[in-house]
Amino acid sequence: MEALIAIGAGVAVLTGIGAGVGIGIATGKATEAIARQPEAEGKIFKNLILGCALAEATAIYGFIIGLLIILLL
Amino acid sequence: MEWFGDPDEVFSENKKSQSGVRPQACILCRKGASPSGKGGSNTGDLTERLMEELNCETVFTLPVLGGISESVVVTWIIMAVLVIASIILTRNLRVENPGKVQIALEAAIGWAQDFFEGIIGKENRKYVPYLITVILYLAAANTIAPLCGFKPPTKDLNVTAGLAIMSMFVIEFSGIRKNGLKHWVKHFAEPVPVVAPIMVLEIVIRPLSLCMRLFGNMLAGFVVLELLKCFVPLIIPIPVSFYFDIFDGLLQAYVFVFLTAIFMTEEME
Repeated sequence: MEALIAIGAGVAVLTGIGAGVGIGIATGKATEAIARQPEAEGKIFKNLILGCALAEATAIYGFIIGLLIILLL
Repeated sequence: MEWFGDPDEVFSENKKSQSGVRPQACILCRKGASPSGKGGSNTGDLTERLMEELNCETVFTLPVLGGISESVVVTWIIMAVLVIASIILTRNLRVENPGKVQIALEAAIGWAQDFFEGIIGKENRKYVPYLITVILYLAAANTIAPLCGFKPPTKDLNVTAGLAIMSMFVIEFSGIRKNGLKHWVKHFAEPVPVVAPIMVLEIVIRPLSLCMRLFGNMLAGFVVLELLKCFVPLIIPIPVSFYFDIFDGLLQAYVFVFLTAIFMTEEME
């Protein structure tokens, strides 16, 4: 039973994949955009931070679910 | 070393380590601390420790209000420091021949005001002081662990939930104030009336996501740092602490306030 709980918590952490891919794509595109238009760096950076925060939220939810699985089951 | 036997003891321990040196005892891994320990790889042990970490200790009990938890006390300390700092910094303001401190202060406040006015618009500038206050509190709260040795209050779900509820009220209030109650009720059925339930749910989802993001980030940083301290107690945690406590803490403070401002703009348009 304990092993299953541990496996479940590990599966919950797989949400990190989505966040990683999302932030990677966002950063790549932002770098491209800055290379094309260096004068718009401030605006692009602001939007990048916003997008990263929203993408990161899924990983955080996965972490919280993993924590809940370990703690409550 | 029993790190969290008695809540009072824990708090005084934190107080003692104000100089920036955190106690060497590892919270999540008490290898060697308890002679009867079965080693650190037992899920049951880890569960117990995480549970103890998640509970906020009651520092002392007031007669009417009930238990006062550690995060509240740390919040009081941050409040006191911020209030005293603002009183001292704004004491001798002069129009002519300003001092160095005043020039730096004006530059910082001017930058923050310009930044938030850029997001929520010049005509809504009366909300800017609230946003600056929240970002100052969050920046102090998130980075207090490496700087002063207290546990960060944002690691407590209740604190972030309170901040998120404040954000929720400000977001909805700004919309009602700007466009009137009628428009606010109508905007739930804005593109098509079918989406109305989702739009109503959004009132709760936005602060819930704000709250969980801040709490999850701070707790994740804390847990990772504690686990790292079990394995490498020397030197290696320093740069990691810089990343998780200082960089991530400031970033999350920024993100929290930034998202609140974005939601307010959305509500006010």
